[in-house]
Amino acid sequence: MSLEECYVALGGNYEEAMGRLRSVRIVQKFVLKFLDDGSFDLLVKSMAEENYAEAFRAAHTIKGVCQNLSFTRLYESSNALSEALRSGFSPEAPALTEKVKEDYQQTVSAIRTFQEGVQG
Amino acid sequence: MKEEHKTNKPFQRLTASLIGVAVVVVCLFVFLAFFMNQKSSDTIQEVGRIYMTGMSEQISLHYETTIELRLSQVQALVDTTTSKTVSSHEELVESLEVNARARGYEYLALYSSDGEFEMIYGDKVNANEGNALDFLANLQKGDQRVVSGQDSKGNNVVLFGVPCNYPMMDGGTSVALVGGLSSDYMSTVLFLDKDATFVYSYIIRRDGTFVIRSGEAFQENYFDQLHSVFDNRDEEEAKRHIEELSAAMEKGEDYTVVLHNATTKRHLYCSKLPYSEWYLVTVLPYDPISNVVNEMSRQWTYMVYVVCCVVFAALLVLFIQYFNITKRQLEAMRKANRESEEARQEAEHANKAKSEFLSNMSHDIRTPMNAIVGMTAIATANLDNQEQVQNCLKKIALSSKHLLGLINDVLDMSKIESGKMTLNVDQVSLREVMDSMVNIVQPQVKAKDQKFNIFTYDISTENVCCDSVRLNQVLINLLGNAVKFTPNGGTIQVTLYEEPSPKGEDYIRTHLLVKDTGIGMSKEYQDKIFESFSREDRARVQKTEGTGLGMTITKYIVDAMGGTIGVTSEPGKGSEFHVTLDLEKAQIQEADMVLPDWKMLVVDDDRQLCESVADALKSIGVKPDWCMDSRTAIKMVEEHHACHDDYQIILLDWKLPDMDGISTAREIRHRYGTDIPILLISAYDWGEIEEEAKEAGVTGFISKPLFRSTLFYGLKSFAGECKEEILEAASGAGKVDFGGLHVLLAEDNDLNWEIAEELLSDLGLELEWAENGQICVEKFRQSPEGFFGAILMDIRMPVMNGYEATQEIRTMKRPDANIPIIAMTADAFSEDIQKCLECGMNAHVAKPIDVREVTRHLEKFIK
Repeated sequence: MSLEECYVALGGNYEEAMGRLRSVRIVQKFVLKFLDDGSFDLLVKSMAEENYAEAFRAAHTIKGVCQNLSFTRLYESSNALSEALRSGFSPEAPALTEKVKEDYQQTVSAIRTFQEGVQG
Repeated sequence: MKEEHKTNKPFQRLTASLIGVAVVVVCLFVFLAFFMNQKSSDTIQEVGRIYMTGMSEQISLHYETTIELRLSQVQALVDTTTSKTVSSHEELVESLEVNARARGYEYLALYSSDGEFEMIYGDKVNANEGNALDFLANLQKGDQRVVSGQDSKGNNVVLFGVPCNYPMMDGGTSVALVGGLSSDYMSTVLFLDKDATFVYSYIIRRDGTFVIRSGEAFQENYFDQLHSVFDNRDEEEAKRHIEELSAAMEKGEDYTVVLHNATTKRHLYCSKLPYSEWYLVTVLPYDPISNVVNEMSRQWTYMVYVVCCVVFAALLVLFIQYFNITKRQLEAMRKANRESEEARQEAEHANKAKSEFLSNMSHDIRTPMNAIVGMTAIATANLDNQEQVQNCLKKIALSSKHLLGLINDVLDMSKIESGKMTLNVDQVSLREVMDSMVNIVQPQVKAKDQKFNIFTYDISTENVCCDSVRLNQVLINLLGNAVKFTPNGGTIQVTLYEEPSPKGEDYIRTHLLVKDTGIGMSKEYQDKIFESFSREDRARVQKTEGTGLGMTITKYIVDAMGGTIGVTSEPGKGSEFHVTLDLEKAQIQEADMVLPDWKMLVVDDDRQLCESVADALKSIGVKPDWCMDSRTAIKMVEEHHACHDDYQIILLDWKLPDMDGISTAREIRHRYGTDIPILLISAYDWGEIEEEAKEAGVTGFISKPLFRSTLFYGLKSFAGECKEEILEAASGAGKVDFGGLHVLLAEDNDLNWEIAEELLSDLGLELEWAENGQICVEKFRQSPEGFFGAILMDIRMPVMNGYEATQEIRTMKRPDANIPIIAMTADAFSEDIQKCLECGMNAHVAKPIDVREVTRHLEKFIK
């Protein structure tokens, strides 16, 4: 699986990312680093603890990272979630959280597949 | 008309009353003048009468006294000279003569009973015939008497007779002793000096003959004199007076009358004199008095007229002032009425517009809401049918988006109405604004299969100071409307050009025209298109979604930017909006853009665009030729090829009149091989035509609008053998080295931090990471003064967010507390930007990190 295919799998915009980061090496480096990012865990934890301010910040961070890496699909769902949490809890937040979880899992699994290909 | 009539009425009434008052005043004064004249002449007459009566009495008293004196003198003669005192006749005569002469008598005689005078001395005298008998009779009765007479020389004399019995020469006894005086003496003694007074007197007999006359009397008879007074013209009048006078004399009464003739007026007073049959006539001519009085009354009349005029003038002045005041008041009142009427109508209109808007809005909101509710219900009912659910969700997403747009418009509007909308003026590249606008509009245009074209020419300044978000909003509103109201297959054209601004050299006037071939607008609607909540009430428009706020917001933004917006439109033919802005030129220098001196050919069917592109190319070092159709283009390529002077780059418009750009490219490739780069220029999305174009031998694509920088960046990578050189030049020109500038980067996410570090260290920046706001503040506090050149600040961070951190840094007491702080955040709403600036940050950069954007801001704030 190439990096480009990985982007297709996770619903991102490879060209945009390349345009911003300018080399395959850097894009690849950060895409792999995404796996270590703790924001998603923070989001899940905060939602469970009903700490919505922290959840908002976590969603916002995911959104920012996705923007930088041009993970469009996850950006869209995390953006929707962060807007829903901007002024505290809102009824649609849990559903949107589920959506983020789903997109995140897809993203992560795509990256994992890619990672295996690189290492293997 | 009615209005005018109503307003003229008070003025007519005013004028009428003024004339009325004036007439009354004039009448009063004229009456007064006549009345006073009459009164004064009456008074003069009365005064004359009283004066004359007094005068006559005086004169007759004087006469009486004189006569009595003379008579008593003669009586004294008689008393002192008796037969006892004188013994003989001679002695008697001698004694009488001596005594009489001593008393000044000119004549002395003894009067005999037969009426003869026996002169003692003096000329012989005789009593006048008419009175002689009366004289004698009275003397014989023993009364003293006076009579007029004449001496032998014909001199008039006055004779004073006193009864006495002296022996006379002829042996008889005398009846009386008579002393005589010349009448000249008498008149001197009796009458006042004529020169000293106007009054003169006569003594006449009953038949009118004069005894003594003076002054103007030249007739022998006073009655004749009277005739002459009336100039012998008014005989009747004279006769009447004479008769009255005679009658009064007969009765012995006083007679007084005023005699008028044509020129004079005199007062006559007649009274009987004692000791005689004489009458005293005193005449007072009025002329001297009445002259004085007339003079006075003439002056009085003049004064009356003058006063009348003054009063009238004063009235007139008052009237005019009052007239003017009333007029002004009326006008003010009318104006106030009109204004309040206008205000009322305006308020009503606004109110109506608002309630119409509310009903429209609730309809507009309900429509997508209904779709959302309905689609949700459908989706819930078909949870197993994935395709159906997907379809529903797609429609829900569309409706939500539409709803969000509506609500955003309403929010913008409420901000505008409450005056809270502000501009974030920043340096903006017109190229970037236009590019992003094209990107947004392209899908819409494509969906409606519309022709879309962009012209830019005479662009001397690409970087200007402006609120890019709001400028985008204006462009998108105008273009959105153009797309919305233009039917499928219609044409939309955007034109951008610049010219020197009247505001000065630091400004550039930027014109932006958006033209469509849509449904257009009626003239009436064009007048109120920029009003709130307005939409033209037409069936076609009803079908089109929108709040009717877009143009109001647009107009407001343009106004806030100090620009103007106008519209020309014709129903059924299309509309053209024209925005004019005077934008401040940006401070930053545009990167030095130089290309090698290629020979280039530009082909476009718009002459202005060709000329403008040619100018832009010349300014970056290229030698361009241009033509307007593909046939000419091919011919020109052929000519240059023949001279072994091939064009090094060819720019072709995609849409050309006879043969489009792709066919032209194919033709050129076919004839002259593949070594010349051919670039397509178009406002359309390159993706759609890329395949076909590449196949035809097109090397690349440059998106319209064609700014200088667009051309430069578009061309620099398509430069054949010069490619390496150009790229080097370009990276040298476009890339900045900050030479190890220390920058503090506050960012809580390490992935984001690493990306930022990766990108920014290429620019020669030394980055220091702060994991949250608190750490950022601490790091800055502990750094030596001037160590950090700038801070890049995330907003959403744990412990302390970017806003608080910025505020804390700004309040520090160190000289570099004003360090440039640039926000880097995923929030890009204008409120967020506003809040950043309010907290003291210098600028705002939206995530994802755009190196160019960050560079631009850093360059701006770091010397």
